[in-house]
Amino acid sequence: MKKKTGIVSLILLAIFGMLQFFRPEKLSNSPAGDLAGIPPAVNDILRNACYDCHSSQTNLRWYDQLTPANYLVYSHIRDGRKVLNFSKWDSMATPAQNSALYYALNKIMEGEMPLPAYTMVHSGAKLKPADIEILKKYTFSRTPRGKTDTVQINMANKEYVDFIQGKLAPVTKVAPAPNGIDYIPDYRNWKVMSTTDRFDNGTLRIIFANDIAVKSIEQHQTKNWPDGAVFAKTAWKQQVNVDGSVSAGAFWQVEFMIKDARKYAETAGWGWARWRGDKLKPYGENALFATECVSCHQPMKDNDFVFTKPLNLLIPTLQNK
Amino acid sequence: MKNLSIGVIMLTTMVLFSSCQSQPGLGLNDAASLHSRDELPENPLLLHAITSGVQPKDSTMYTLYGNDAAFIYAGSHGDSSYPDGAVLYEVTWQQQADEQWAGAHVPKKIVYVERLEYAADGQATYTLYRGTPLKKAAAANPALRAGVIAGQRMAVSP
Repeated sequence: MKKKTGIVSLILLAIFGMLQFFRPEKLSNSPAGDLAGIPPAVNDILRNACYDCHSSQTNLRWYDQLTPANYLVYSHIRDGRKVLNFSKWDSMATPAQNSALYYALNKIMEGEMPLPAYTMVHSGAKLKPADIEILKKYTFSRTPRGKTDTVQINMANKEYVDFIQGKLAPVTKVAPAPNGIDYIPDYRNWKVMSTTDRFDNGTLRIIFANDIAVKSIEQHQTKNWPDGAVFAKTAWKQQVNVDGSVSAGAFWQVEFMIKDARKYAETAGWGWARWRGDKLKPYGENALFATECVSCHQPMKDNDFVFTKPLNLLIPTLQNK
Repeated sequence: MKNLSIGVIMLTTMVLFSSCQSQPGLGLNDAASLHSRDELPENPLLLHAITSGVQPKDSTMYTLYGNDAAFIYAGSHGDSSYPDGAVLYEVTWQQQADEQWAGAHVPKKIVYVERLEYAADGQATYTLYRGTPLKKAAAANPALRAGVIAGQRMAVSP
C-alpha cells in the first residue's frame, strides 16, 4: 500500500514538474508610484490591498508563479487592471478619480474586494475596519457640495426653457443602445420607486418603475422581479443654490433595467441601457458595455441585481379615499 | 453500510433544505413610506414626480409630486399659475446613508407632507401634515411655503 502511494506521489510530482514548462503570457510589470494628492495613509491602504491587481506594479510571490495557479492569477490581474488601474491615476480627471475611489470603496465594503481567494493566500492584503474607515472618510472628503457656478446654472436654465417649450431633441430620433435596446420615452409617467441623493458624483436620482414593476412592489415581490419589469433611473446634476439647498439641475442621464430572464440571460437576466445628456446619446462603444453594468450591480446578486429598496406604494386606506 | 446510507440521505436532505432557504432580499423601504393611519386625502406617492431636491442643513430630501393637471402644466409652463384642480404634494423625508452604496443618501422617514390644491380663482390652499401618523398641523408660514413649492421647476427629461 505504502509503495503504491509513493508511486502515485512521484507521478503527480512529475506531472507538476512538467506543467512548469507551460506558462501564461508574461505580465507587464513596471513601478507604480503613490497616487498624487492622496494622504500617505490612504496610499498605503491602496498599495497594500489593491495594487497587485489594480496597478502596473504586481508583486508576484513564488507561489503565484507556479503552473497552473499562475494562469488564474495572471487572468485576475489582467481583468483587474482593465476595470481599474491606479497607475493611470494622473491621467484621470478628478470626477473619474472620485468615481474610481468610490467604486473601490464600495467593492471593499461589500466584501467583494480584495478577492477572498487572493486574501486567503495574501493575508497581509486583508483590510481592517479601521483601514476601511480611513478610506471612506477620505473618499467622502473629496466630494463636498460646492456652489454651482453661473455657467452651469445658465446651461440648466436654457435646457429647462427648451424643455417646457418642447424644443429638446425629439424622442423619435433617439438611437438605440449598442446592445439594440430602444429608448423608452414614457418613463416620466411611471410611478416613483425611490429617490437617491448621490453626493459621490453630484447627482439627484429618481427611480421610476413601470406598471409590472409596481405590481410586484405592491405584492412585495421584489427579490426576483418578473419578466417585463422595467426601471428607469433618471439623474440630474445637483444644483446647489445660494441658501445651500439642492435642486435638480441639468439632465444628466437615464438608465434602464429591463427584466427578461431568457432574452438577457447573458447579462444577469436584465437588459441594460443608458442615454446621456439632453441629446440622449447612447452609452457604450459596443454591446459589451453591459458587462460594466452587471459588474457594478454584482454585489446585489442576491437581490436580483437591484440596488434600490422601493417605497411601499400600496397603502389601502389611502388608495380607497 | 446501512449507517453510511442513512448519513448520505441526511446530508442530501440538509443540502436540499438549505438550498431552498431563500435569502430575504432588500424588501421594501416601509419606514420611508406612508402608513394606513396617515390622515391624507390620497396617496401622493402614486402621483407623478415633478422634481426632487435636498436640504443638506436639515439632512432631508423631498420629492414634489403632482396630479395629472399639475404634471401637465409643470411640463409646459415656467410659471406657477397652476390650473383649477391641480394638486401638488411635497413629501419631505429625513435622509439616511444608503446601505447599498457608500456615497448616497436615501429616504429614511417622512417628516412632513405639504399639499397645495388650486381653485378656479387661481388661489391655492396649503395644508401641512406632520407627525406619526401624519395629521393636519399648523404651518408657520403657509403663504411662503406655498410660493416655494409652486415655484419649483419640473426636472427636465428629454
